[in-house]
Amino acid sequence: MKAFVFRPDKCDVCRQCEVACSAKCSKSSSDSAGYAPFIKVYQSPQGPFLRLCKHCEDTPCVDACIGESLKCGNDGIIIQDEKRCIGCFMCNMVCPHGAIKAVMSIEKAFKCTLICGEKDNPPCVAVCDREALFFDDFSTTVKKRRNRKIRGLIKR
Amino acid sequence: MKKPTPKTKAKKSARQHVIVGNCIAAVSAANTLRELNPEDKIIIIGEEAVPSYSRCLITYYLGGMVTRSHLLSHPEKWYAARDIKLNLSTRAEQVDTKKRIVYTRQNGKKKKFFYDTLLVATGSSPIFLKSFPYDPKGIIGMRNYDDSNKLKGWAKKGKKAIIIGAGFVGLKTAYGLVKRGVQVKVVELLPTVLGRMTDLEASARVRDRMTRHELLDIELKNSVIATRKQGNKYVVTYQNGGEEEADFIVAAVGVKANTDFLEGTDVKVDRIIAVDDCQRTTVEDVYAAGDVCRSRHIVTREWIYNAIWPVAAAQGKIAACNMSGQKMVYAGNIPMNSVDFYEMWITAVGDVQTEGDDIEEVTFKSHSIYQKVKLKDGIPISFMAVGNVDGAGIVRGAIVGKTPWKEFIKKPQTQLLPVVNQLSGFVSKAVA
Repeated sequence: MKAFVFRPDKCDVCRQCEVACSAKCSKSSSDSAGYAPFIKVYQSPQGPFLRLCKHCEDTPCVDACIGESLKCGNDGIIIQDEKRCIGCFMCNMVCPHGAIKAVMSIEKAFKCTLICGEKDNPPCVAVCDREALFFDDFSTTVKKRRNRKIRGLIKR
Repeated sequence: MKKPTPKTKAKKSARQHVIVGNCIAAVSAANTLRELNPEDKIIIIGEEAVPSYSRCLITYYLGGMVTRSHLLSHPEKWYAARDIKLNLSTRAEQVDTKKRIVYTRQNGKKKKFFYDTLLVATGSSPIFLKSFPYDPKGIIGMRNYDDSNKLKGWAKKGKKAIIIGAGFVGLKTAYGLVKRGVQVKVVELLPTVLGRMTDLEASARVRDRMTRHELLDIELKNSVIATRKQGNKYVVTYQNGGEEEADFIVAAVGVKANTDFLEGTDVKVDRIIAVDDCQRTTVEDVYAAGDVCRSRHIVTREWIYNAIWPVAAAQGKIAACNMSGQKMVYAGNIPMNSVDFYEMWITAVGDVQTEGDDIEEVTFKSHSIYQKVKLKDGIPISFMAVGNVDGAGIVRGAIVGKTPWKEFIKKPQTQLLPVVNQLSGFVSKAVA
């Protein structure tokens, strides 16, 4: 299963990923496409941080979606049926990464659903030459580390 | 939680899983059961005449904000595709846990189902009191598809409704009825709207925004002590002596678990079903999930009644794993909710109304945004946001993970929150 990995130490906030995402995804038929990029890099005094759905293995947003708009596909990508989104922002409330943006002007939750269709090499990753952003299969160690971080609903 | 893997061991024979109830806990359990046990028989017993729907959306359906096909999230073909036997309009009347039989009644006809494992996911129903008893012609709750259809029929322009209780259900119903042109009066006993999820300031902001609409009025610190029928109308008497006339009344003072059909069994019920962390009840092979049972508070580890959608969805999955022999433990959740009224969002996580000498508060206040975090011993225990709710999950992560506030605000992503980076609030206000 694939997921996004971000390395803040390598990122110099050139925002090439945002440009690439906008160029590709704002042409899609999605309602929220006008609000692209789905990826956003912020500069903060503590270093850069990335606002992007990581497509976690533990999916609190899918459990919390009262409109049953967010769904987890067989490939592990969390997809959104925008027509079903009623803008309650329960998903925004449970996402520990703050990856789901509450766009109040369109009353829709806004997240990367990989609508670019590039499940092997998304444009944001392809354009990053600083080796700061990856979309890769998780090794067990990374998985473990992230699971510990999420501390989600379920403990095995 | 992603898909648990099916058991590799070959099973003795196909088993029969019976699920009583047909909302999210039942549906997520059935889905997980099917993934884990391709061979087993799964039977759902639903009391309502429609297949499973998004229960939280019935008030949106009432207000015309979602369509019927949107509401009905699991059409009958969803069940057929998973080979789940669906029995609609079927009411469970009794359970014999020794012989493992559920006795039901479908349109007057008796029917019984044998089970190997039983999941009770019957949910909850609205509370009615002596001062406002249930009356199918004018005093109802707002809990299911029939209720919303009934209200839809009654909600004509120029009609007047009284809603008892200004919790989430009460206010959302009021919002839906006002959208249909009904004049609505909401009466609440507590000094705040939305129950335990707001403080006085947030409550005032929500109330101001809602009562700006000419058809909507919210009265706090008052209650209904009697109702009587007068011709086609209902007259309610308030605690403060006043009387008011209305065409219909909606009771939204709370819910009680539907456990009647378990009477006479050894399943321990103390108003709600006592379950353990694996969703097992006190009787072997009888499980419970959703609004009908208790759940853990993930921080304090106490048993609480947390009747919210995410808990039901997760409990259904956990119960299904345990029913098919894979041990799973539910860690719990915290009280939380998120809602919007007239483009004003409210998100509340944790025990917002906790008071005490050892509680510190961090607040951000501006014209359009109000955010507040409560800290106990330097660790956040609750978060409430009105106006701008973006990034609320980051604080929820800190509450659940017991991250000290001083450490938490050093994380870069917290800069999104006005309550941490006071400047970001002013920026977003300027943009808005």
